[in-house]
Parts: sequence; structure tokens; C-alpha cells
Amino acid sequence: MKMAATRPRPLEWHRFLAALAVFVALLGVLPYSGPLFASLFPDLDRPLYQQQSFASLVVAHLWLVVAAALTATTFGIGAGVFVTRPQGREFRRLVETLSAMGQTFPPVAVLALSVPVIGFGFWPAFIALALYGVLPISENTIAGLESVDPAAKEAAEGLGMTNRQRLLQIELPLAAPIILAGVRTSVTINIGTAAIASTVGAISLGSPIIIGLNGNNIAYVIQGAVLVSGLAIVVDMGFGVLSQRIGKWKSGQV
Amino acid sequence: MIQFRGISKSFGDTLVVPDLNLTIARGEFCVLIGPSGSGKSTILKMINRLVEHTTGEIDFAGEPIRSFPPEVLRRRIGYAIQSVGLFPHWTVEANIATVPRLLGWDSARIEARITDLLRLLNLDAARFRAAYPHQLSGGQQQRVGVARALAADPDVLLMDEPFGALDPITRDSLQAEMTRIHAETGKTIVFVTHDMDEALRLASRVVILDKGRIVQTASPRDILNAPANEFVRAFLGKDDYGLKLLSVETVGNRMRAEISAMAEDSVLPDDNLRLALSRMVVLKSDRIGVRDATGEPVGTLFLSDVVS
Repeated sequence: MKMAATRPRPLEWHRFLAALAVFVALLGVLPYSGPLFASLFPDLDRPLYQQQSFASLVVAHLWLVVAAALTATTFGIGAGVFVTRPQGREFRRLVETLSAMGQTFPPVAVLALSVPVIGFGFWPAFIALALYGVLPISENTIAGLESVDPAAKEAAEGLGMTNRQRLLQIELPLAAPIILAGVRTSVTINIGTAAIASTVGAISLGSPIIIGLNGNNIAYVIQGAVLVSGLAIVVDMGFGVLSQRIGKWKSGQV
Repeated sequence: MIQFRGISKSFGDTLVVPDLNLTIARGEFCVLIGPSGSGKSTILKMINRLVEHTTGEIDFAGEPIRSFPPEVLRRRIGYAIQSVGLFPHWTVEANIATVPRLLGWDSARIEARITDLLRLLNLDAARFRAAYPHQLSGGQQQRVGVARALAADPDVLLMDEPFGALDPITRDSLQAEMTRIHAETGKTIVFVTHDMDEALRLASRVVILDKGRIVQTASPRDILNAPANEFVRAFLGKDDYGLKLLSVETVGNRMRAEISAMAEDSVLPDDNLRLALSRMVVLKSDRIGVRDATGEPVGTLFLSDVVS
């Protein structure tokens, strides 16, 4: 049938692996790049960030993002499913309004607001990220579930599926590509936001950036920024692979 | 098999079915027909509780339908709809296996059943088994839809304008398929349509509805020969009423045993007179040969006997 559509899948996969390899190589080389940055910025006393290892920064950054994303996905999908069920229909307006309002809030503001409530460190960053990450996911869950062909839903009901079977076997799988797109947006935004989270004392790839900005150390800023953007690209490509897997039936692959 | 007793249905303040009494016997091919808003779909959907009736009682296989949990009831009743509603992320075989899986059949039994159903619906297993719905034409999708409805060998098959969205040629072949499947399986079928030709062709009994009331219920032939009132007569149509009359009579009943010179074209004894007339017009002849299924000449049909 649509043979053309069968080609990009391995390509997408290979691209992701290549990007991942480049990122890991970068991470391996960066600790030895002191002389390079020294020659680029001869005025700096310490041209290489060494408070923590870059690898541990990546791990801390990912941990923050993954923990927040898992929380946001749980609540986002939960809210999206709830307001599209008959018993939750009344709350749909509310959730949509909150989503729209939330989107107009810059993540930095959420961070700033959470500090007085929770204090400094991992938790305010985690809460800000999780809250901010819920919105694209709940929104896309609603859109995804709404996009399911009403005929498929009627058939599922008429053939004797229970509500739970209908949701798990028909509605969620069919909405999955759109929901995944929401998770992808959420995670991509949060990889960036997690860097800013260093302002409230969380350890992340933002730490060299913030310290660099405070101490006028451009080399630190570059080191942190390269890794954050590299991480964002690799993760986004990972989602590309995943979304192709999940929508496989559309291209007619068996 | 299905019995409506004093059934009414209102949506809010609107009474769509006032007082319905109808018994559908085992093995019947019962076609509900009426204009838009006549309540035919609502009546159909009350059987599998997609629509809950307001008052009265509906019995299924001798028991009130509300004595079953809705899912249990629905798994015993096949259901096919105009928009088909195949699950796009499942292959044809997974779609057909829906109800057997819900019922927990073992995989060998499901496999065998899928093979049987693909054969019954004239779908090439090698080509379609692992295909996804979007790779199929509209007619093929509806064949899969009917196969899915029949999968768990239900006692009753409900069909809601299943061929309404198909082109005339595809519809024609699926109607022929339904007649054959009904004869082969002996299933009780309740079928909704607004197309009188379809009703006359398929039904063992036609139920004509208007504003939620039964106007007339009888065999296609009796409806044509004795329409109950103006409404039914109008519904049968003026211009091709005569052709409809011919469509419920078979060649076998009107032909003569004499075998005259055979033209190239011929009809079968089971064909209807409308088809025979059409062939005669094409042949520009006042008679046509009749052959049996093996191609042996068995008689001749004369125009004068068609119109008498």
C-alpha cells in the first residue's frame, strides 16, 4: 500500500542513535576541554566547570525532568480522561480554563512563586516543572480522545466492551499519537525549564550556566548550554522514534 | 426471540415511540423501515440497550433484557452499523476477533472462526487477514464489519442501515450476500433501512413505521398486494410500484415448461420477474429462456405471463 511510509522508520531510529552517540562523545570529551576553553578565554582563571562532573549534572537534570514528566503525564492523562467521561464532563471547562491560564504563565514565574512556599532545592523545581508540564498533556489527551471516530466508539459499545475495555483498548490507543505529542512538548519545554531551575538551587545542567552568568564566566555558560541543547535534541529525536512506532498502523505495516 | 411489550421511549419531553408491541420470531429476517424520525433506529438500539426504553418490557430469548448486564447481552447480539466503525489500529483479524476475545475463547478456536468468517463473507484470507481497515474499500470494510458482528455466533444480528453509504453495485452484492448468509446460518436478523427496494429484497417480514408506530407489518408480497393505507402506498412509490410487484415474484412461478429457441441471455427460475423483464427489454424480445443453475434449459418466460 503506502510503501513510502515504511522507509523513514529505520532512518529515524538511526538518526536518533547517531545523535545519542554524538552527545555521549561530547560528554566524554568535555572534561578534557580545559586547554581549549583556556585558549578561547585567556582572561578566565578557571575556564572549565568542575564543581560537579558533567555526567552527574546530566543525570541530575534528567532525573528532575523524568520525575516531573512522569508526574505530569499521570495527572495530565488522568485529568484528560476524567473530563471526557460522563461523570467528569462538568469539570471540563475548568480544566481547559486552567490549562489556558497556565500556558500564559512563564515557567520562571512558577519557579519564583514556588520558592517562598517550599524553599530552595530539588522540590520547588520539581513542583514547578510538574505543574507546568501537566498542561500540554491534559490538553492533548482531551484532543486525542475527542478525535477518536465516534463510529469506533459506538461499535465498541455495541459489541459489548465495558467502559474500561473501551478506554484501554480503543480510545487511549487511538488517542496515543496525540497524547504522545503532548508529552513530547511537555518534556522538551521542561528540559529547558530545568536549566532555569538552578536559580532556585536545584542541581542541573543549568548550574554552570547560572554560576557562569553570576561570575562573568562565559566558558561555564557555553559548557552548560551546549549540553542542555544537546540533551533536548536527543530526547526530542527519541520521541520521534517513539511516535512513529506508536502510529505504525497508519502506514499499514504489519 | 425478541418481544417488545408495551414499549415507549421518550427523549426528554419528546415521545418518539408511544406504545410498541412487536414479536420477532427465531430465524426471521425482519426489516424495520420508515422515514427519518420514524423511530426505526431507536427501536433497534433498544434491543441491545444502546438506547434504554422508558416503559414496558423487552424480552430476549424469553428473558427481560434488563436481567442481563448490558455487556453480556451485547456479546450475544451481533451489531453492524452504517459507519462500520472498524477499529483502525487493529488488523482485520483482530477486528473480527473482538467479541470472541471478550468472551475468552482460546486462540485456536478464534483462528478457526476467523477463517470461516472470511470465507463466509467472500474475503480472501491471504490478502485481508493482516490488513488494516484503511487499506480496504468501503464494501470490504462493511464485509469485515458483518463478519465481526457474526464472530461469536450470536443468536441475533442487528444491522442499522449497514449498506446505506455504499455505492449501488457494492450494495447489491452485499444484499445478495446477506440473503445467502441468512439462508445458510438461519440467524434472526433485525435490519433497519429507509430503502424500500432493499426491504422488499431482503425481508421475510417488513415492519413499516411512522412516528414510532407500526403502520403495517407483513411479508413483502402481502405489503405490495395489500398496502394498509395511503402512507404505505406512498412509501411504495407510484412510478415503479409495478416493478416492485415484479421484484417479489419469481420466474419459476410464471414460466411455461416449453423450451423454445434460446437467446444468448437467460434467467434462473429463482430470479425475480423484474430482472427477467429488464433482460427482455435489452434483448428486444417478448420471451426469454429459463435455465437452471447447471445451465440446462428448463422453460420459457413470456412477456404476456409477466404482466398478467
